[in-house]
Amino acid sequence: MSTNRWFATGNFYTTYEEEQRIFKTNVDRLFFALFLVSLFIWPFFIEASNRNMLVINNILIAVVAVYGLNLVTGFAGLISIGHAAFVGIGAYTLAGTARAIGDNHVLITHAWPLMILISGFVGAVFGAFVGLPAMRLKHLYLAIATLSFQMIFTWTINFMTFFNQGQMIAVGRVFWITGKVGRKDHYFFWYYVILVTAVICGLAVRNLLRTRYGRCLVAVRDNDRAADAMGMHPGLTKVYAFALAGFFAGVAGALHTYMFRGAGFESFTLHHSIIYLAMAIVGGLGTLPGSLLGPVAIKTLELQMEHLSEWAGTFLPATMNLATALRPLGFGLVIVLFLMFEPRGMANWWRICRSYFKLWPFRY
Amino acid sequence: MSYFFQLVVSGMVVGSIYALSALGFVLIYKSSRVLNIAHGQIIAAGAFIVYALTVWAGVHIIPSFLASMVITFFLSMSVERVFLRRLIGEPIISVIMVTIGLMSILDGLIYLTPFGSVNYSFPEFLPTTPISLGGVSISWTQLVGVIITAILIGAFSWFFKRSTIGVSMRAVSDDQLASMSVGISVPKVFGLAWAMAGLSAAAAGGIIGNITGLNFETLRAFGITVFPVVILGGLDSIIGAVVAGIIMGLIQQFAAGYLDGNWGLNGTADVLPYIILLVILLFKPHGLFGTHEIERV
Repeated sequence: MSTNRWFATGNFYTTYEEEQRIFKTNVDRLFFALFLVSLFIWPFFIEASNRNMLVINNILIAVVAVYGLNLVTGFAGLISIGHAAFVGIGAYTLAGTARAIGDNHVLITHAWPLMILISGFVGAVFGAFVGLPAMRLKHLYLAIATLSFQMIFTWTINFMTFFNQGQMIAVGRVFWITGKVGRKDHYFFWYYVILVTAVICGLAVRNLLRTRYGRCLVAVRDNDRAADAMGMHPGLTKVYAFALAGFFAGVAGALHTYMFRGAGFESFTLHHSIIYLAMAIVGGLGTLPGSLLGPVAIKTLELQMEHLSEWAGTFLPATMNLATALRPLGFGLVIVLFLMFEPRGMANWWRICRSYFKLWPFRY
Repeated sequence: MSYFFQLVVSGMVVGSIYALSALGFVLIYKSSRVLNIAHGQIIAAGAFIVYALTVWAGVHIIPSFLASMVITFFLSMSVERVFLRRLIGEPIISVIMVTIGLMSILDGLIYLTPFGSVNYSFPEFLPTTPISLGGVSISWTQLVGVIITAILIGAFSWFFKRSTIGVSMRAVSDDQLASMSVGISVPKVFGLAWAMAGLSAAAAGGIIGNITGLNFETLRAFGITVFPVVILGGLDSIIGAVVAGIIMGLIQQFAAGYLDGNWGLNGTADVLPYIILLVILLFKPHGLFGTHEIERV
């Protein structure tokens, strides 16, 4: 069928291959390519301060972590209140290795892509282990299992002297083809590493959802008994979802450690798990654009709240701890309001926006 | 040997308060199948209200204890009314996530008050010399706490066994459609379940605040330990909550008494409940007294 590959005013699929395409029209593909290219080249044109670079890197790391959370909560329908612990597993795989073999060992500084991958796999193993009750149980039990994993993780890190009892464990500077990545280029260099990782992970998630396993996840979420009857194994599928989430979280954790040049337990507490959940919900559970929009929105909100509490701190009494109060208050409100009024998240706004331009200039 | 009995006594004290806290949690789960993640924050709020009324407003402890129970009764009820009522019919996963959001909101609200950053302790209103019996001692606060807990749990079980409202709550937890058809208002029952949970949480908070002092982080940790308790007891069993609460209290005290200090371990009481939780979920997911659902995943 000779359809216009540039402009489509509706969905006219005649084959399943057409429906499974990543980009529906060439305009989609063009815009995505432009978006990617602009992400890659903007640092050469705009001079960003280290502080801003840090925020942007943080957002991208959160994007990688939220891919994982979105897989487990959005696509497989299992609540995880321990995602920060999985991120922490990745971070402490790297930090623990650094502590065991020295923070400037060649494995850490030269073979860093390998270390990031290993952290991902360790995260996957822990994810699968925590997900094991999924073989027999439904989502609410799993929410509690992940919560208790979070508590065990925090306790272990705080208790073990090997992990420096939660204090910062340093990791050395890495080497690139051009030599050691110095202080000046640190954030710049890691921006590209994290960006490439985020793009690869995003494409991986997008493609996963086109495969048999991805469709399994969604089928099990929507109706596990029907999925069982269709020959899928719901329990294994859920364990698999947890393992995948652990993998993405582990990768994000390793990136976090490399970027901050160390790991400390205060970045992986229950509070951060809730922030990740807020990102996934605000972005839109079970959508890929949501994994991008959520972290951006929540991190922006966090920055604004910091500004607000700094400003309010000038005239409020010192006992009123606005900075610690505003963060949980804001994130909680955002979670509740989005779930009540826009359960499909910001990705839904993006969808509405797109469909408007798709049909433009016609109304319908 | 007296060390052992001392641990048993303090384990029973802590455990009975766990039982009371878990009771409210089970109540909500039983009637509406919602896991209330914010339960620990309601416990903390109850404790703070008692303190604010006693010390800042100068009310005697007994009326302020009762007033705190009434306040959280209505607080909880309004939480249900405002946030959860409109989510009836939504997937249960989003309802649970709303309670996670609520937890965060309540955290933030408590941090706004002085309780978030300052530690307070209740003024002594009972004799300070502990009662000693053959080397085992128990303080008056603990004794009174246990007695109040026992009375409340007794009152709750009477309420569910005998009173009309209690029976209708049990009916709703059994079968919502059938109870609707005999004229029970299901939303009202949900609201009442939340309100009762708030009431028992405030009682638990008041007692634990009197025993350990008011530290928000401690109270929060206490609230999260309710999860291992309810999982051990079975999510929907009130007897299970009581038994498991006492077991968990004993386990924690024994861990603190025998494990800490040996083999370089420290603070095991804080982590052991969660390890037990994961093990139970793997091998006996419905707990000691929970209903075995026939539907399998």
